[in-house]
Amino acid sequence: MSTMKINDHCELFQGAEYQEQFEKKKEFERPWPEEKVKEVSDWTKTEEYKELNFARQNIKINPAKACQPLGAVFCASGFEGSMPFVQGAQGCVAYFRSHLSRHFKEPFAAISTSMTEDAAVFGGLNNMLEGLENAYALYHPKMLAVSTTCMAEVIGDDLNAYIKTAREKGAIPNDLPVPFAHTPSFVGSHIVGYDNMLKGILKDLSAGQKKEPNGRVNIIPGFDTYTGNYHELKRLMAIMGIAFTLLSDVSDTFDSPNTGEYKLYPGGTPLSEAKDAVNALGTIALQKYSTVKTLEYIRKEWDRKAFTATPIGIRNTDIFFEELSKLTGKPIPAAIETERGRAVDAMVDSHPYVHGKRFAMVGDPDMLLGMISLIMEMGGRPVHIVCTNGDKHFEADAAELLASSPFGADGKVYAGKDMWHLRSLLFTEPVDLLVGNSYAKFLVADTGTPLIRVGFPLFDRHHLHRQPIIGYQGALNLVTMIVNKVLDEMDRKTMHSASFDVIR
Amino acid sequence: MSTSIKDTQKMIEEVLEAYPEKSKKDRAKHLAANDPTGQCSACQVKSNIKSRPGVMTVRGCAYAGAKGVVWGPVKDQITISHGPIGCGQYSWWSRRNYYNGQTGIDTFGTMHITTDFQEKNIVYGGDKGLDAALHELKGLFPLAKGIGILSECPVGLIGDDIEAVSKKVAKEFEYPIVPVRCEGFRGVSQSLGHHIANDTIKDYVLGKGTLDTSTPYDVALIGDYNIGGDAWASRRILEEMGLRVISQYTGDSTVNEIGIANKAKLNLIHCYRSMNYICRHMEEEYGIPWMEFNFFGPTKTYDSIRKIAARFDEKIQNNAEALIAKYKPLMDRIVEQYRPNLEGKKVMLYVGGLRPRHTIGAYEDLGMEVVASGYEFGHNDDYKRTYPEMKEGAVIMDDATLYELEEFTRRLKPDMVGSGIKEKYSYHKLGVPFRQMHSWDYSGPYHGFDGFPVFARDMDMTVNSPTWDLIRRKK
Amino acid sequence: MRQIAIYGKGGIGKSTTTQNLVAALAEAGRKCMIIGCDPKADSTRLILNRKAQNTVMDMAREKGTVEDLELDDVLLRGFKGIKCAESGGPEPGVGCAGRGVITAINFLEENGAYGDDTEFVFYDVLGDVVCGGFAMPIREGKAKEIYIVTSGEMMAMYAANNISRGVLKYAQSGGVRLGGLICNSRKTDKEFELISELASKLGTQMIHFVPRDNEVQRAELRRKTVIDYAPTHPQADEYRELARKIADNKNFVIPTPITMDELERLLMDYGIMESEEAVA
Repeated sequence: MSTMKINDHCELFQGAEYQEQFEKKKEFERPWPEEKVKEVSDWTKTEEYKELNFARQNIKINPAKACQPLGAVFCASGFEGSMPFVQGAQGCVAYFRSHLSRHFKEPFAAISTSMTEDAAVFGGLNNMLEGLENAYALYHPKMLAVSTTCMAEVIGDDLNAYIKTAREKGAIPNDLPVPFAHTPSFVGSHIVGYDNMLKGILKDLSAGQKKEPNGRVNIIPGFDTYTGNYHELKRLMAIMGIAFTLLSDVSDTFDSPNTGEYKLYPGGTPLSEAKDAVNALGTIALQKYSTVKTLEYIRKEWDRKAFTATPIGIRNTDIFFEELSKLTGKPIPAAIETERGRAVDAMVDSHPYVHGKRFAMVGDPDMLLGMISLIMEMGGRPVHIVCTNGDKHFEADAAELLASSPFGADGKVYAGKDMWHLRSLLFTEPVDLLVGNSYAKFLVADTGTPLIRVGFPLFDRHHLHRQPIIGYQGALNLVTMIVNKVLDEMDRKTMHSASFDVIR
Repeated sequence: MSTSIKDTQKMIEEVLEAYPEKSKKDRAKHLAANDPTGQCSACQVKSNIKSRPGVMTVRGCAYAGAKGVVWGPVKDQITISHGPIGCGQYSWWSRRNYYNGQTGIDTFGTMHITTDFQEKNIVYGGDKGLDAALHELKGLFPLAKGIGILSECPVGLIGDDIEAVSKKVAKEFEYPIVPVRCEGFRGVSQSLGHHIANDTIKDYVLGKGTLDTSTPYDVALIGDYNIGGDAWASRRILEEMGLRVISQYTGDSTVNEIGIANKAKLNLIHCYRSMNYICRHMEEEYGIPWMEFNFFGPTKTYDSIRKIAARFDEKIQNNAEALIAKYKPLMDRIVEQYRPNLEGKKVMLYVGGLRPRHTIGAYEDLGMEVVASGYEFGHNDDYKRTYPEMKEGAVIMDDATLYELEEFTRRLKPDMVGSGIKEKYSYHKLGVPFRQMHSWDYSGPYHGFDGFPVFARDMDMTVNSPTWDLIRRKK
Repeated sequence: MRQIAIYGKGGIGKSTTTQNLVAALAEAGRKCMIIGCDPKADSTRLILNRKAQNTVMDMAREKGTVEDLELDDVLLRGFKGIKCAESGGPEPGVGCAGRGVITAINFLEENGAYGDDTEFVFYDVLGDVVCGGFAMPIREGKAKEIYIVTSGEMMAMYAANNISRGVLKYAQSGGVRLGGLICNSRKTDKEFELISELASKLGTQMIHFVPRDNEVQRAELRRKTVIDYAPTHPQADEYRELARKIADNKNFVIPTPITMDELERLLMDYGIMESEEAVA
């Protein structure tokens, strides 16, 4: 057992030797004079700087969005035996794998066709052929779900034709499902990529499967990076007694038990269920903006009911259960009503610490809509709502939601803006609390606004994604995070004063 | 040929059986049994060759090499990820290139700045938008000392002329604007990105900095990206030796430092792979000699300190001996404390840059043996430097795939694996102790006398964590 | 709905021919649509009787992103209700015009531009198939038939053969077929025979020989098709004949492109090109 205290980076560089080293190094660095740095630093907090900041049109600074293929590989990984397969340059796939692993602390497998300069000129057909052949031989997938990087999109690779050719040439068996989606990273964001890939998969798997309705319900979680939400959903559906199919179910992909065994395909939506999804009573999407095209496709091509209900917050969850009940004819069981009562009880108990608190928030559109709703239910006031990947429809949705409550009166929606815009807002119009992903921690450092970590990615805290934020239990979890952040902050500020209460 | 080599070769052949013919033939060239003498020609791996499509390579791209590795850490320059949103997002402050400064004011290391290409930029070209973006940045960040434009795939495909934009705007701004053509489809891995980035250092910044005085003890610390503070720990040693480190490439570096490395008397290079190009250039152009060194683990560190000192006068040599004498007791205590926990443990490494060979000595100091090692993006010269460091019959792998790593683990049964984030959690599932050896698993530093205790502590906690014993393995 | 792509060398009269034949179809009561796939954006002006319409890409650039675009901004109706859209794109030498074609077609499809009653969709595609983007109109689920506009000039024939090669590739993997060559006469020697022969070598037909007539230019100066400007002129009947033949066409083949040597031999046989011996 270790006895000697080891200092790592957290302590080492605070020491005198290093502080002296840093001072001496400035001779070569040639930094600006300290006064100058201070002057500019102060200026960036002003109204004048904010105006300049908001005037920019051509550059994003600390944006909160990722690219389409990330959403596509995420979606593709939630089906049984499915291997995400990306036509394009290989670095992208290395990045997707790292990015998702950093958030979930789980392995993530995905394949690239490693296109290089010759493919840029001659097209990526050969890469696709060899890629499919190798992937099938080495990793024995039950489905290869193809998406694209911007490289394949700029040169105009024709996935459909390539996949057909691969079958004709025997690179992959004829009966292996190979759905595809074109997912250019210069259009939309990761949520659009999720949508495109899911539509592609459903289109492929449902072909020729339409029969009589099977009495089941399809649930599309959307680009939801909380594995806890998936488990919660399964629990709630069991209580409701509803047979359902998750499209796509990434809960095992990103939350598999440790059994001393690495499974390349730990679970996912069974392909047989996914094929039968076309015969469900209807489809509920838990996010709107990551399922636009998929829902449209289901309504039009499957000719089935499809709608959105995001169960974040109490009233949103009410609507979710009401809609579910309407669709299936099943009543809402007392157990669910009890859960609701508990969550509401907690909110009543905690309201004094949240009422009137001003919130800034940044993230994906559906998460924001849910959080606005929940915060207003607690008496909190959403003020700055920044959505880098939000469009005019989101702007309208959020504005309508804010208008529905007196607590939304201070709220302003900033679609297409980024966290550097938010930095200006936090200086010119300060708030009490910030909701956002791990990268929002730089706003904490700059502005001192306490951060409640909700969204994606969450790199710097462990297991947050394992706790649900949907349903009444999810509302309770969010309320717990919010109120305790307020109390932690209160303690931090009053530690050396009389207000350092032990009972709150 | 010895039996250990033959056994390993047989194992490699078995692993390769799963591949389709074409890929099997190709992959066979990248896997070999080690021959430390370099006599056995079948024991040389081929490297720096295109990865086969569909095999799940671990490799990244030229952008990752140029932005993530070389240019990204330069702290007072704004680094633009020029193109669509993803690349900059996924490489955002993931390499932990520590720096001092006020972010967003005089330094920009933890920021993600991108032109966020939309469809219209692809169809109409992105040059006009880039020009405007540079001006917007100049307005918002008046204290920046330069701007790097790191191009992503589409920029190269649609034929934008970022060099012309850079040239025009650099004249207006009177500071370097560096167009770096590191589109991800160029080359076969990160490696070309390093080279491209080195070339742009040479073309746009080197020789343009200010250094007021010179001494005979001026050195530049090259190829240290200050991951978890590595370069600071290395710098401490060099300064205690009496040397003056005038420039750090590129961890915690500034544009001025990049511009004055040509005034060093000696270039000291840690990561040979990513920065040998600029050292060779400075040797040819300015006559500056360069030497490789290794500050992982006390044995290699003492050795390197002496070799560096030998390039200077007696004063430095005496300082070096005094320094070693000063730190040796501490290093001995660390070894004494951790070696019993780690003695005889087998390590498998699959990393990039310099680590597959440079960390071997540090493991050996702790009584551990590296039984397999490989590079994501090494070249022939990297492997030549690796063979002598490893035992006969050890596995050497180049551009290994997920499948191969899993198979070798199954067969070699290492007690610990050191690789990247993409590999980390599959090893956790396997119940094989694992350390992320790109970013030190958010620990560090690992370099120098301040780094080795952290290294030893971390390897111990990895191998000997009680959590591994909680895993209930399926029979 | 029949989707038809018209390819051909730049400057061959592709857009003029397409608009005249579509005008003739519309005149006969058929519901048609033209999608210009050329950054020059001159595929619909004779139908719309105006300079040039707002293109999908121009409007997308103006609005910021394609997502913010409305169908009404870019889909107009012209002569006899013909629906018109242009992909648009950059000046020569910058950006990626091919991507513009992909974007525009995706946008039009996703926003229901084709509607349920359209009988013919014509893609008027820039010159040669220069990159993946320009093959977008013949991807699966889009145009299944292709006509190549050519003339008796050597470069036009060379281009026709080249395009056949591109079609061959797509025909093998998808369902696209060559419907014939349209000879837009340049009054070169033995043009009719030569193009008929080229067509047969490519395994297809010369579906129509459109004679050269200045009436076409006169109409064009007034931003009109001949059908619209001079409906009783004999040239209008030529386009009506072409339209009828395309509407009735049943002859769809996988082309059999020929080698450069074969093409040269063909030209020599018809005395267009002198053989080396003759030169010597």
